[in-house]
Formats: sequence, structure tokens, C-alpha cells
Amino acid sequence: MALLTVENLSVGYHTRKGFLKSVQGVSFALDKGESLGLVGESGCGKTTIGMSLMGLLPENAAVTDGRILFEDTDLLKLSKKEIRQVRWKKIAMIFQAAMNALNPVHRVGEQIAEAILAHDADISEEAALKQVESLFEVVGIPPERMRDYPHQYSGGMKQRAIIAMALSCHPSLIIADEPTTALDVIVQDQILNAIKDFQNKLNISLIFISHDIAVVADVCDSIGIMFAGQLVEYGNVKDVFDVPMHPYTRSLLASYLTLDKDIVQLDSKPGETPDLVNPTPGCRFSERCTVSEAACSLNTPEWVEISPTHKALCNQFK
Amino acid sequence: MTVNPSTQTSKISVRPSKRFPTIERLKEGWTIYKENLIGKIGLTLLVIFALMAVCSFFPPLIDPMYHPMTGVDPQISHSTGPSWRHWLGTDFIGRDILCQLLAGARIAFMVGISAAFMSIFLGTIIGMIAGYAGKIADTLLMRLADMIMVMPTLLVVLILSSLFGQLNIWTIVLLIALFRWPGVSRVIRAQTLSLKERPFIEAAKVTGASHFRIIFRHIMPNVLPLSLLYMTFRVTSAIIIEAALAFLGFGDPSTVSWGMMLQWVWKTGHMFQAPYWLLPPGICISLLTLSFYMLGRAMEEVLDPRLRKEVAQE
Amino acid sequence: MEVRKFILKRFIEIFIIFFVILTILFLLFRLAPGDPVTRMVDPTLTPEDAQHLIAQLGLDQPMGLQYLYYIKNFFTGNFGNSFHYGVTVFSIIWSRLPNTIILFTTSILLSAFVGIFLGKIASWQKGTKTDTWMTLGALACHTLFLPWLAMLMIWIFGFKIGWFPLNGMISPEIWMDPSSGLWLKILDVIHHMVLPLATLFSIHFGSYLLLMRSSMLDTLKEDYILTARAKGLEEKTIRNKHAAPNAALPVVTSVGISLAFSLSGGALTETVFSWPGIGRELVFAVSNSDYPLAQGSFLLIAIVVLTANLVVDVLYAYLDPRIKY
Repeated sequence: MALLTVENLSVGYHTRKGFLKSVQGVSFALDKGESLGLVGESGCGKTTIGMSLMGLLPENAAVTDGRILFEDTDLLKLSKKEIRQVRWKKIAMIFQAAMNALNPVHRVGEQIAEAILAHDADISEEAALKQVESLFEVVGIPPERMRDYPHQYSGGMKQRAIIAMALSCHPSLIIADEPTTALDVIVQDQILNAIKDFQNKLNISLIFISHDIAVVADVCDSIGIMFAGQLVEYGNVKDVFDVPMHPYTRSLLASYLTLDKDIVQLDSKPGETPDLVNPTPGCRFSERCTVSEAACSLNTPEWVEISPTHKALCNQFK
Repeated sequence: MTVNPSTQTSKISVRPSKRFPTIERLKEGWTIYKENLIGKIGLTLLVIFALMAVCSFFPPLIDPMYHPMTGVDPQISHSTGPSWRHWLGTDFIGRDILCQLLAGARIAFMVGISAAFMSIFLGTIIGMIAGYAGKIADTLLMRLADMIMVMPTLLVVLILSSLFGQLNIWTIVLLIALFRWPGVSRVIRAQTLSLKERPFIEAAKVTGASHFRIIFRHIMPNVLPLSLLYMTFRVTSAIIIEAALAFLGFGDPSTVSWGMMLQWVWKTGHMFQAPYWLLPPGICISLLTLSFYMLGRAMEEVLDPRLRKEVAQE
Repeated sequence: MEVRKFILKRFIEIFIIFFVILTILFLLFRLAPGDPVTRMVDPTLTPEDAQHLIAQLGLDQPMGLQYLYYIKNFFTGNFGNSFHYGVTVFSIIWSRLPNTIILFTTSILLSAFVGIFLGKIASWQKGTKTDTWMTLGALACHTLFLPWLAMLMIWIFGFKIGWFPLNGMISPEIWMDPSSGLWLKILDVIHHMVLPLATLFSIHFGSYLLLMRSSMLDTLKEDYILTARAKGLEEKTIRNKHAAPNAALPVVTSVGISLAFSLSGGALTETVFSWPGIGRELVFAVSNSDYPLAQGSFLLIAIVVLTANLVVDVLYAYLDPRIKY
């Protein structure tokens, strides 16, 4: 039984210009201990999915379709109070360090302890702080920094603190939203190793959201490529990287310069960001696709299974 | 990079403009303004007061007894209540209160707008120079601004009037402007500082534009909307200061302002017996201030996109 | 340690500002039209006394020496004698100072606390009737003309309903009566203080309310609020423990900025209510051409404003950890 099953999720936002269909018909599943990477460019909807899982969508957002089954409960049907109990204890989130994710007027240690205290009615404050100390050791921050304020931390330290905070209630699933963006490469490497480390040791499921496909390849078991609110390719990381099927995936991979291959011409057509208020019924990528035909922009693309662990949403492969 | 839909980047919208605002932007601004209830109420009130100011010229033409300062009713020489002859009654020497009220509107607009305009003028120029020139000029000017901001304007003008004798209305306007520019200059300076780094300024410098030209041709148009916004708040403080001065007895004795009317009520001991005299000037000062304030708040929404109701999402 | 350095730096800055004000005042009094001597020396004095005073104040010396005399006199508390009262200016303003401080400090504290509290509530009731009424109410109160509001208060609550005294700070009957206890005297002052306090409060709480409201709305959009929500905390905890302390910081700053305005308002209030404070003394002195008293009152007011600014800065330094550490 999968830990998390997302079925046909569709989410949109009410804006002045109309109803923006940010996520449409996305489905995937995650087992315990498995890690999934969601990759896509800005605006493709990957963060919206993360927010939907946590129940943190803003007021003008609306879930128009689908279910999110977590441990057999549909998260979308839970009351506000019930969601609060799921949050952090079952599903936690790692935010970008560049974000102002830590409250500037509270000490870091206290903020983490707060999460522990909120979900455990019996524990005392000292015991909670002791737990924070051991968490700090896990992520590699000197325990005496617990009493510092966020502005005294470096970027890498802040990210580690945020990871420690996510681990504090021993969740079954962690959603990491661009955890290494805005960090320099060396620190990025350290953080990624830390994430892989705790994921393996603690057998926590992970959803890793990023625009950087290379990073995802390093950390995740499965990968889902998103474009314009839809999942366009999904499967094992190895399968997708070895044989990328969807033209968008191929251009994503080709846009990386590698040391061991010749420079390949960038393989895409210029285009505008797709209109999400009135999306085309056909393939949303067709305008930028180098192998698209006239029919592609008119007919709804369907899933094509290349193998049981690899499928792509494209009419070209039927 | 993903943008968290629950957060927003926020900046005052200042787009580099080669020309002064086009009709398009004015129209867009007007649409947003119209939706704002506060703005509508404020504008309505302002129009009413403006009409009052305009009407102030008429009563003395009808009959000299309606002149706010010198009009004396041959039949009445003390304070009376509202009547058909005098719709709001008369003051302690028989002058018509309604005419005084109308004249007061005229003075309020005059003082408010001139003082605000002057302080905005000063503040914008000083702010631009401080922001653009930097270093010593900046430090000196901002220290000066600090000092002026710390002192209570009203009390400073009081002390000055003790030394220079009775002030006339234009001196008062000038003094108010001299003490209210620091607030504007800080904001303009901040805006100038951020504009200074923008590519289009670099481009202008590279093409050999003089500093003078850069400041007035490129920076000023982008800083003006902010200036105008703050002008509305300056008007309110100018009106209040003039009214307070007049109330305390340091206004211009040859002008009839609302503050002056309140001084007469108070000093002649009619505070408790003449509500028809006590209430109108105070209500007018408060409402006029309120309406300018509302205008300013509504304009803020037009100029600062993040205050608007819409939320653009990904 | 950082905090102490910060306080010291601010103190020096303020001291310099004060010195500049002192000097400007010196120049103004000497350079304004008319004979400066008439401003320093009571015209009703006999010629010998006048001559004595002139020598003491150094008015027959060149400008530079006069300035030194001036500074020396200031620091020794010698402001000359009041023309009107006939006693030293120092004794007058010293006796008035506590009265102003009581009224001023109480009104600011009350307005700030209530304004912040209500602003917080208004922000989370945003869009509802409560919020609209609160915002409009705050705006309307803030724009009322202070002396007029004061007069209305006296008229309605003092004259018509008769709950409160019409003016002054104390009732002479109570204070002159040797059998009155301390509590009675304190209550008497409070009784007199209600209306002036209510006036000042009405005018000022609105701006704190509106500022706190918009500050809260801004703060609630911050990332760390999202984190707090993700942690599964209750909305109430998030607002009170996470948002409010951050939102209150700009409001504290604004207290400092609006101190000048508050003091002007204080002077107006004192005048209308005949509250025996420094503000009223300044107004009277100017009306009566009592130059030494006017100068002395103004300088003391300047000291009050600058000190209050310093206090607010120090308070802010303690509240915002980003400055402290």
C-alpha cells in the first residue's frame, strides 16, 4: 500500500484576470522510504502541489478535482483542526534557506522546540530543547548555536536548521521545496548529502521539488517532469535519464552542458509561457516542441507507457 | 525558481518613463481609484469644500453685512442662533457665521495647498540631491532633516512669532513649508537611491548627460508620483498647524480661518452657550483633513500595487 | 555590548542636535528685529538693576563672549527671570515639568497599547464589518481637530453632564486641606486628568491602530508565517506569537517619529484644559512677550522631545534582536 497517492489533482487560483488553472490532472504515488523529484520551470505548478499536500494553499486557491490519499485518508477532506495535526507530525516541509523561513525575533532553538511541543502534549520544554540539541548534531550545527537568532546564521546553517526543524516530529513524508537554490555549490553538495543521509537512515519518504534536473537525479528514485500544470513524464530516474521520451524532458536534459560529451545544439523553439487561464485542449507544449505536428495542438495528449516504471504524455509515441 | 504562491514580492511600481505618465496609465489609475470607497468619499467631500470656498465670494456681494471680517449687522451685535437672516447664526459682534465658514474654506485650501506644494518642492529637490550626490551632501542634508523633524513644528513657529511679531498668512505658509519638507525628502531620497543604480541611469551617464540633466530629466519624473502622494498628507498637516496657530491667537488677524473662529468662540467665553458657533468650524477642519487623508490613502492604492485587492498567482 | 554602543552613539547625536538648537535659539534672539536687550531684561526694572542684569548676562560684550555666557548660563540653570511672574524661569519650568510628563507619557503609552491591540484585532478581522468600522473610526478620530475636541469634551462631560472638572490639574480645596490623604490627592489628579487624557488618546490611538493593522497584514505575508502554519500551530498562536511581535516593531519606530506631533498636541491640550504644564507655559510666555520664560520653556520642551526620542530608540534596540546581536 503506497504511503501517498495523488489522484487526478487539479488546483487553480482565482485572479483578477480569471481562474488560473495551475495544476491539472496530476497523479502519482509514493511508497514509504521512496523519493520523488518534481522538476519543471517556474510556474509549472510544482510548488502548488507541495502546498496542496500540506494544506497550505492561499485563500484564493481552489482544488477543483482529485484526491490526495495519505495513509488511507483523503487529506482534502480533512477539517482545519485535523490538518493541523497531520502537518509536521506526518508531513513536514523544508523551505528554501533564502526565504525568510525563520522568525527573526525568536531564537532558532526555540522555534524548533515549538514544533515538538505543539505535537506532543506530554513533553516538557527542557526535554524538547534536548531533542533539538540531538537534531542539531544530526544535521551538523554546533549545539551552542541553538540560542542564536536567525540573522546570525549563514545560508547553509539556516538550511540545516530548517532541515532539523522538518525532522523534529519524525514525519513519514518530507516535502523539500528548492532546498538548495540560492546556496553556493559546495554548500549545496553538503545539504544534498545531508538530505540523502537522513532519508536513508530514517526511511522517510521525500518529495523533492526543483527546477534543477541534475540535483533531482542525484537524490531521487523517481522523477516527474512538469510543464504548464501537467505531469508530462514520470518514471524511475534511471529510465527517464537513459531514454527521455517527452520532447520537453529531452530539451531539459540537453540544456545541460556536460564535461564528457560534445556540445549539443539547444533543442527547443522559443515560445511564451502557456496561458493557464484558457489552456489549449491539445498539448500545452506543442508551441515550443520541435517535433510537434499540427494535430498536437488540437488533440488531447494521452499517456504512453514505455515500461511499467516509465510513461510520457505525448501523442507522438503512439 | 519557483515562487511560493503564499508570498509576494513587493515594490512600489516605478517604471522608468521617458515621458510623463501617458493617458493609459491615468485611465488605469482612475479605474482602480474608482473602486475604492474611501477614495470616492474623500473626493466627494473635497468637492463640497471646494464649492464652499468658491461660494465664499458671493455673500458679501449680496449684502455688505455678510462680509466675514467687517460685516456688521445693523440689527444684531451679539451672538445669536441660526435664523433666516443668518443661517448659522452670528458671532459675538454680530458677524455672519456661515460667511466666515465659507471664507475659512477658502483660506484652508489656500494655506493647505500652498504650504504642501512648497514643502513638496523643497523636499523633492533636497531628497533628490541627497540621494544622487551621496556622501557629504547626503549626510549633511539628512542630519538637517533629522533635526527639523525632531522639533514640534507648531511650537517652533510659536517661538518664531514671539520674536518676529504678528505673522501674516504667507509667512505662516512659508514657515510651515520650511518645517515639513524633511518627511518628504527622506522618502524621495530612498527612491532616488534605488533609481540611481538602475541601468537607464547608467546609460544616461554613458551618453554624457550632465548630473543636472539626469536629475531633472530622468529621476524626477519617476519620483514625482511619490511626491504627489505625500502632498496630500502635507496638506492635512499644514491645515492643522495653521488652524492651531490661529486658535492660540498667533494667526494672521486679517484673515478669517476656521482656527480663528474657534479662537473667538473660546476667548469670548461662548464655548458653552453657542453650539452653532462652536461646532461648524471644528467639523469643517476635521472633515477637510479627513477627506485629504482619504484621498491620500486611495492614491496610495493606485501607486503601490501590493495594496490592491488583486493577487497575481502562478 | 552592542546595545550600549548604540545607546551611546544615539546619546551623542541627540546631544549635538540639542546644542545646535541651543545655538540657533541664541542667534535668533540676538538677531531678530528689535533691541535684543529688551528681550533679556525686564523693561520694568530700575536702571541700576537693569545694568546689573546686563552685565550678568554679558549683553554688553561682543557676540562671541555673549555666546559663552549663554552656554554657561544654560548649564548652570540660569535662564533669567520671568518678566511676568517675577521669579526665576528655572523655578517655573521645573515645577511645570512633572505635570507635562505625567499627561504626556500616560497618553502616549495608553494610545500605543490600545492602538496596537486594536490594530492587531482589526487585521485579522480584515474585510469584516468590525474591521471597516474600526478603520473608519480610527481615521475619523485621528483627523478631529484637537483643540476643538478638547472644547467638546469640556462642554459635554464637564459642563453638561458635570462628571469632570472644567479645567486645571488639581482642586485647590482638596490640596489645601491638611487632612487630605495622599490617595485622595492622587485620585483628584486622576479625576482632572481624565478629559485631557481622553482627548489626547482619541487623536493618537487611530494612527497606531492603522499602522499596526497594515503592519500585521504585511507580516502575515512573510515566509516565516508560512513556516509556522506548516508546523501545525493554531492561528491564534501564529498571530499573537509570531506575527504580532514582528508587526509591532515598525509601530514602535513610529512612536518616535510622531513624538513631535504628540508634543504639539500636548501643548494645545494643556492650553485648553488649563493644565499647568510646560506647553501651556510656552504659549502664555509668547502671548505675554515674556522672552526669558519663552526661551526657557522651549528649551525644556526640546530636551523632553529629544529624551523621549532616545528612550524610544533604546526600547527598539531591546525589542529587535537584529540590533541587539
